[in-house]
Amino acid sequence: MQSPRQSRLGAAILLAVAVLAVLLPWIVQDSYFIHTVIMVLYFAYMATAWNFVCGYVGQLSLGHSVFSGVAGYVTVLLFIQTGLSPWLGMLAGGAVAALLAVAIGFPTFRLKGPYFTLTTIAFAEILRIWFENTDTFLGIPLKGAEGLVVPLIGDSWAAFQFNGKTAYYYIVLAMLALAMAATAWMERSRLGYYLKAIRGDSDAAESLGVSPTRYSLIALCISAFMTGIGGAFFAQFFRYINPERNMGIDLSIDMAVMAIVGGQGTVFGPALGALLLHPVAEVMRSWFGGGVLGLHLVVYGVVLILAVTYLPKGIIDPLSRLIGRGRKRKEQP
Amino acid sequence: MDPLILFFALVNGLLVGGIYGGIALGLSLIFGVLRVINFAHGSFLMLAMYGAYLLWSVFGIHPYVAPVIIVPALFALGYAVQAWIIAPLFRRERAMVVEPISALLVTTGVYLVVDNLVLMAFGPDVRAVSVDIAQESFFLLGLPVNVARLIGCVAAVLLAWGLALWLRRSDLGRSIRATAQNRDAATLSGVNVPFIYNITFALGCAVLGVFGSLLVAFLPVTPTTGLSFGIKSFLVVVLGGIGSIPGSIVGGLLLGVFESVASQFVTATSAAMFSFGLFIAVLLFKPSGLLGARVAKR
Repeated sequence: MQSPRQSRLGAAILLAVAVLAVLLPWIVQDSYFIHTVIMVLYFAYMATAWNFVCGYVGQLSLGHSVFSGVAGYVTVLLFIQTGLSPWLGMLAGGAVAALLAVAIGFPTFRLKGPYFTLTTIAFAEILRIWFENTDTFLGIPLKGAEGLVVPLIGDSWAAFQFNGKTAYYYIVLAMLALAMAATAWMERSRLGYYLKAIRGDSDAAESLGVSPTRYSLIALCISAFMTGIGGAFFAQFFRYINPERNMGIDLSIDMAVMAIVGGQGTVFGPALGALLLHPVAEVMRSWFGGGVLGLHLVVYGVVLILAVTYLPKGIIDPLSRLIGRGRKRKEQP
Repeated sequence: MDPLILFFALVNGLLVGGIYGGIALGLSLIFGVLRVINFAHGSFLMLAMYGAYLLWSVFGIHPYVAPVIIVPALFALGYAVQAWIIAPLFRRERAMVVEPISALLVTTGVYLVVDNLVLMAFGPDVRAVSVDIAQESFFLLGLPVNVARLIGCVAAVLLAWGLALWLRRSDLGRSIRATAQNRDAATLSGVNVPFIYNITFALGCAVLGVFGSLLVAFLPVTPTTGLSFGIKSFLVVVLGGIGSIPGSIVGGLLLGVFESVASQFVTATSAAMFSFGLFIAVLLFKPSGLLGARVAKR
């Protein structure tokens, strides 16, 4: 067990980070900086959503972007076609993503390891290719690879459009906080224990009456819903959605890499991964301009290799041991 | 549908499919022995294509001569990647539960590094070698057959045959097969398993050196060429049964014909959707591959 002193240290760090996060737009008012922080929080949120199922079930999905893309399109299309507020639209989009997760997950969760991973890629690629090559579907313009622009309304809560970036900052911050709270809740709930049992030994879990497919599916649905909300946020923030950025394999890989480098199967790991990795991308971009494409992905690749080899539990593992929150890990031999 | 066009699609599909099969050989071999899915497989092919392109554009070396340099280079690269990057996972594995996901993740890291280094070096532009053979065709039963594709297809079949023979007859081949069957028993019989792993991975990459050179003769290359071929290789290997050498060629032919015929009915990009659908269907309903029975006997 941890000592009360260590637990208080952890809580104090958490509180300090939370206070800093809430006050940040007052401390630094540079628009570019806030934009970068919003992207960090967006990736932290997406990695946390990915982690909700993959980190706990121990399966690697490289197709999560499909949930982001589909929900984003649902949100944007509902807004363009019917004028439905993106606030409701993103819930609808998340629900569609969750339904899609059942359709994809039900057959796929029978597969293990790399087979599961390759199938998630295949499903995501099918939908991405379909969106890229479909101009209109049932009379609804999708505009293929070109993507859809969200019409500019002006500063309006109902339209999810704001002058300046501060509002977006607080929205994504709240999303991240909710996603982490949901993960923390899940860890302590029956679902969390079931998922860990499935990760440990799927057959043994099944023999004890825990259906691996059923509980993995429940977690995948929640994860897909959260990923969908993130995709809708991304589309609203840039007022633009296209299949490649919102649905492509690059986004799936980003989510997975950040969660794994940070520490999958933990509440704070994925956000930590995003906090460490995304600024790398931004710094590379500002140092070298647009001239050097892909440099940040080289760094991601190297960091991923090093993390998997030397820190399979993620960067959070030594950090949490330092703070003394690593007691759970130590109990497991 | 005009039967002549369909027949043409069939022939062309077989030619391209043979090349797919040849490209997938290495992936299948590596998985069969190391149980590692090499996500960077396509990236190594793309590197080989750029290598052959550079040899042509800088030194004027014909792509068909390029394998003399590219194959050893890819062999060395594969050896290095396995020995330095993937092997540490195996060393850790002894104490821990086997995690095939870790190997997949590490090779995903290699894919990110290789693809983006090439992107940085060459930019996103399309590079193409212009040699006469790309345009040459002869007529067979009134149908044009592209010589460069035919050479690629024949090379794939010959390489697969040679590789299977070598695995069956040579001492090293025997060690490789022993390691694939039972790593511990092979170790006990005096096989240096880590070395066999390195050699197998290197071989799997060296094969790509051949096809990278043959492909670049008629196919332009961009940094993203690798991923699409890599994903096709997964398709091929799953279709033919993972770890099976003849299965790889048969899977390639199947995919080639499927793609080529499907693209007569829909656009080529949409045809890729059906290939992924086929991939999912095979994994779900016949995960041992369409030639699964033969794999079991192996």
